[in-house]
Amino acid sequence: MELSTDAVAVIGFVVLFVLMLLRVPVGMAMGLVGVVGYSYIAGMGPALKLVGQTSMRTVTDYTFGVIPMFMLMGAFVSVSGVSRELFRAANAFIGHLRGGLGVATVLACGGFAAICGSSVATAATFSAVAYPEMRRFGYPQSFATGVIAAGGTLGAMLPPSTVLAVYAILTQQDIGKLFMAGIVPGLLAMGMYVITIVLIVQCRPDWLPAGERKSFGERMNGLKEVWAPLTLFLFVIGGLYGGFFTPTEAGGVGASGAFLLGVLRGKLDRAGIREALLSATRTSAAVFTVLIGALLFGYFLTITQTPQKLTEFLTGLGIGRYGVLALIMVMYLVLGCLMDAMAMIILTVPIIYPVILQLGFDPIWFGIIIVMTVELGLIHPPVGMNVFVIKSVVKDVSFMTIFKGVIPFVVTDILRLIILIAFPIIALWLPNRL
Amino acid sequence: MTGQTEKAKSPFDRIIDAIEWMAALFVGIVAANIFIAVVLRKFFDTSIPDSYDFGRMLLGILIFWGIAATSYRGSHITVDLLWTGASPRMRRFIDVFATLVLLFVVTVQTIMLFDKVAVTMRDNVLTYDLNLPTWPFFAVAWMGDVCAVLLIGIRTWRLIMQPEALEDHPEIKTNE
Repeated sequence: MELSTDAVAVIGFVVLFVLMLLRVPVGMAMGLVGVVGYSYIAGMGPALKLVGQTSMRTVTDYTFGVIPMFMLMGAFVSVSGVSRELFRAANAFIGHLRGGLGVATVLACGGFAAICGSSVATAATFSAVAYPEMRRFGYPQSFATGVIAAGGTLGAMLPPSTVLAVYAILTQQDIGKLFMAGIVPGLLAMGMYVITIVLIVQCRPDWLPAGERKSFGERMNGLKEVWAPLTLFLFVIGGLYGGFFTPTEAGGVGASGAFLLGVLRGKLDRAGIREALLSATRTSAAVFTVLIGALLFGYFLTITQTPQKLTEFLTGLGIGRYGVLALIMVMYLVLGCLMDAMAMIILTVPIIYPVILQLGFDPIWFGIIIVMTVELGLIHPPVGMNVFVIKSVVKDVSFMTIFKGVIPFVVTDILRLIILIAFPIIALWLPNRL
Repeated sequence: MTGQTEKAKSPFDRIIDAIEWMAALFVGIVAANIFIAVVLRKFFDTSIPDSYDFGRMLLGILIFWGIAATSYRGSHITVDLLWTGASPRMRRFIDVFATLVLLFVVTVQTIMLFDKVAVTMRDNVLTYDLNLPTWPFFAVAWMGDVCAVLLIGIRTWRLIMQPEALEDHPEIKTNE
């Protein structure tokens, strides 16, 4: 009995999810289903040929080099102790205000995220850096962990963001434009988190006590420490914005710059260099495995015409383009309970992207919206990756406590998403000037 | 992490470390290659011959060797929802199943990659500036995939026969 392409597509998706639930690496599951499904329709020979060609083409694609390079830059910055310096600097200026340590955490998370590019790494780092300080001044566990979880999500919004870079590669959009598009929404996110903390202080003045007031000298010392990472960020992003580098070059220059700054400032020793190189290698290998799998799965999607059929189905629902967008976002929030943000983007964007184009949405703007939605998935209950990361670092706190602390920031995130959907210009203004 | 490095390592673990180190070294070389190429181009109006081709082929090598180490350490991006809630016995079953699927997929990939290396050699594909044959780079990358097959095979055997010999499963992935 010959199965229709629709039936093959449905079976393919079911098998894919079963394999993923059975802990088969996401990329391998996608590759396996993609090749088997493709071979059922087009024959074993062509399907197997795709394996060798796609794998080699993907890993030797210079454009994809942006991923390991920005990861290496983030790793060097991370092991150089920049997070501690940023927190110390922000704390020196506003730590003496009620809720000031929370605001300092948000600002330092933003600064760190702008160089590191990873939400999970930002959350993990600040669990070790900011949490003990907030607890020392009597901040409740729920708030201290909640603000770190939320601050961590800034990693994927502020450039250079690896998730945005992957989205750009998958949709053949300009990486530089996507990075630029993330700046204003990222700053908006920081601003809204700060407002959230101020509101919490207004409602419960005794909940977030003031920290120590620092002297003028201490404040200047704090600033002196952060000039180097901020200069690196401005150089890399400025070079990208000004057309001085391609994105891959920006990553390579950023990684080398982070290495040189770390060594010259005595912050990076042999062990640190080793840790950074290994960390970037492991993460890059894991991400490339998903990329290869996704490309193989993409052939299966093409041959079964899944994106076209999904587009027809969704546009035929009669719920309007914003209704379809809402459906897609709900799907991302649900998927966020199951899988890693990067895997989610790589798996779903090739399927969803044609729908978005058909509905007339701007692909750059959609990239920002989708990354923000996926980042919301990192903190919203019942499974938020950042929450798990914080729990792994801060042992004496329960999941329930962290989720309680995260709720005000989840509300803020939803509000920010609504604002960005209502006013796409917030994301598009800067890239349109490129 | 410190605990792991301080632990006395078996010769086998040292080999895996060496494989991972090789990949890590290539990440550094790729970054240095890009940095030097940009500096030479922008400030000295010159370039490293074949910098682009070297960059992308070294990238290929680092990724395949990195996949070998990642596969052995079980640090691929996975969905851990079912595994986290499973009993230890069920977890082991899931791990063995997942590793067998991984072994199958990477074996097929390695066979087909060999085909790609052979075609590149037969077609005598050369680099742009220096006209160097590209197949040796592809072959080194392919050897990373061969290593991956061997390491996943050993991981499968260890998972079945001596699960205590493997490191703890990383429950949290930081791939984003």
